[in-house]
Amino acid sequence: MSDFSGDYIKPELMACCGAREIEDNNVVIVGTGFPTMSANIAKYTHAPNAVLMQESGVIDAQPKRPALSVGDPCLNPGAAMIGGLVDIMGMLLQAGHVDVGFLSGSQVDRFGNINTTVIGPYEAPKTRLPGSGGANPIGCLARKTLIIALHDKRRLAHKVDFITTPGYIDGPGAREKWGMPENTGPHVLITNKAVLRFDKDTKEAYLASYHPGSTIEEIRDNTPWDLKVSDSVHETLPPTEEELRALREKLDPFRMISIYEKKGYV
Amino acid sequence: MSKVMSMKEAIAANVRSGDFLFIGGYVCRTPFSAIHEIIRQRITDLTITRSNAADDFDMMIGAGCVKRFIATFLSLGVYGLGRCFRRSLEKGIPRKIELEEYTNLALPMMLMAGAMGMPFVPIRDMAGSDLLKVKSFMGEDKYKLIESPFDGRPTILVPALNPDVGIIHVQQADEFGNAQMWGIGGDCMYGANASKKVIVSCERIVSRETVGKDPSRTIVPGGRVVAVVEEPYGSHPGYTPGFYDADFSFGYLYQQASNTEEGFKAFLDEWVYGMEDRTAYIQHYIQKFGYEAYKKLGAEFDYSFPVSYAY
Repeated sequence: MSDFSGDYIKPELMACCGAREIEDNNVVIVGTGFPTMSANIAKYTHAPNAVLMQESGVIDAQPKRPALSVGDPCLNPGAAMIGGLVDIMGMLLQAGHVDVGFLSGSQVDRFGNINTTVIGPYEAPKTRLPGSGGANPIGCLARKTLIIALHDKRRLAHKVDFITTPGYIDGPGAREKWGMPENTGPHVLITNKAVLRFDKDTKEAYLASYHPGSTIEEIRDNTPWDLKVSDSVHETLPPTEEELRALREKLDPFRMISIYEKKGYV
Repeated sequence: MSKVMSMKEAIAANVRSGDFLFIGGYVCRTPFSAIHEIIRQRITDLTITRSNAADDFDMMIGAGCVKRFIATFLSLGVYGLGRCFRRSLEKGIPRKIELEEYTNLALPMMLMAGAMGMPFVPIRDMAGSDLLKVKSFMGEDKYKLIESPFDGRPTILVPALNPDVGIIHVQQADEFGNAQMWGIGGDCMYGANASKKVIVSCERIVSRETVGKDPSRTIVPGGRVVAVVEEPYGSHPGYTPGFYDADFSFGYLYQQASNTEEGFKAFLDEWVYGMEDRTAYIQHYIQKFGYEAYKKLGAEFDYSFPVSYAY
């Protein structure tokens, strides 16, 4: 039997891509959906000592079903610690103790800046989005930020309408100029077509791997900037049997993840 | 002296149009009973604040109570964007609220500073983002960018917040206002303690002796509290750990209703204006959805191990 499974849906592959960026003993801030699934796949495979927490105040929750929000009742019983926002966002994140944060956005640009505030002009919004919440501090302060987005020319942008969460802002040196902690920032951009990483010199996202079924040409056509391609570009490894087992048996027996297919993550 | 009173009395005596309110909750222990009473008493021109707002703040905005919102985030969670919030900012319905935007690190720190009597607090987020470019009613006082006098690093200072009234819902309190809670904290403790006066609603009023059996759970000392309201299911459709679950189907009902102006008005008429108080609201819930649905919300018992404060 092969280690890799051909029987998976695209959102499951994306969740596995996220999981592979988490190392053992990492402290991870998670929201709902992809972040929780990725972090838990990591925890049940190669990173058993990863510690997951929710910004609302929960550390090492033991939920019996997938949480529907970071304030979900299922996060309370059995957690290692429950405090509040100042404990998680202040004492842990701001103090530099968080390794990985996950973010998604309505718009993401080539420097990994994220917009969750407004589509169109700020004062006369075409669509008013929720705002920052915990996204901005996570993007500023987590050592690595993993970004999940849909891969099309509406969601990916040369420049976002509004920087809710700074990535590399306008390029090399910008984070340092703003006094952000060293060696932090966007680490990877996982889309439904590809995995993009950030060039260490230009800070621009480039193509690292393309998902099975996607082509480099199609990905470049759907990216609004002149997407550079890594010399070592390759096909994204499909989910392993072990990763899928962790996801489906431990976390998501009803395959709620399939709702992402309906949202266009195919 | 006992501070126990009805929600109608607590809001009438302590909340005025134009006030600045902190309203606690994070899906967890949202003081919905107080919010409905504020709407019923047609209190307007409020400035409201909390990190991560949801259907509670959306409803106050839709009902026309809000002039200004010191915000970090507002959405209906799994049900998507806040409908009334969007109508206000996109179309000015029922009025265009003024928004000052921070983050889930900055705002709780601003409330912490307020609770501690500090004028401001340094933060390490918001840097390099457009949140610094948009300023609303706080103007130049939204933040200051300085070089840290200690290490020269660029540092953002944000002002302390001291709301006129803090409103929180907790599991239990005594008649003097010593308020005890457990479960997800959000910014509830600092928000309440930053406020000039505090209204506490609770699932049950307990004796001072019961509070003293586990004093580490008290998040607001009674001396800061002006009103205590015993309000079972006061947080519905949010949840209160140990008492009842979040009512996700009611959340969907709100989202469907608030999709349109007419639907939202009908929702308010039915669930807020049409109800005398929380007791009537719960009775209406049972009449409409059945006793089984109501009973199903109730939490099971899973008591924690008792602690000992003996020495």
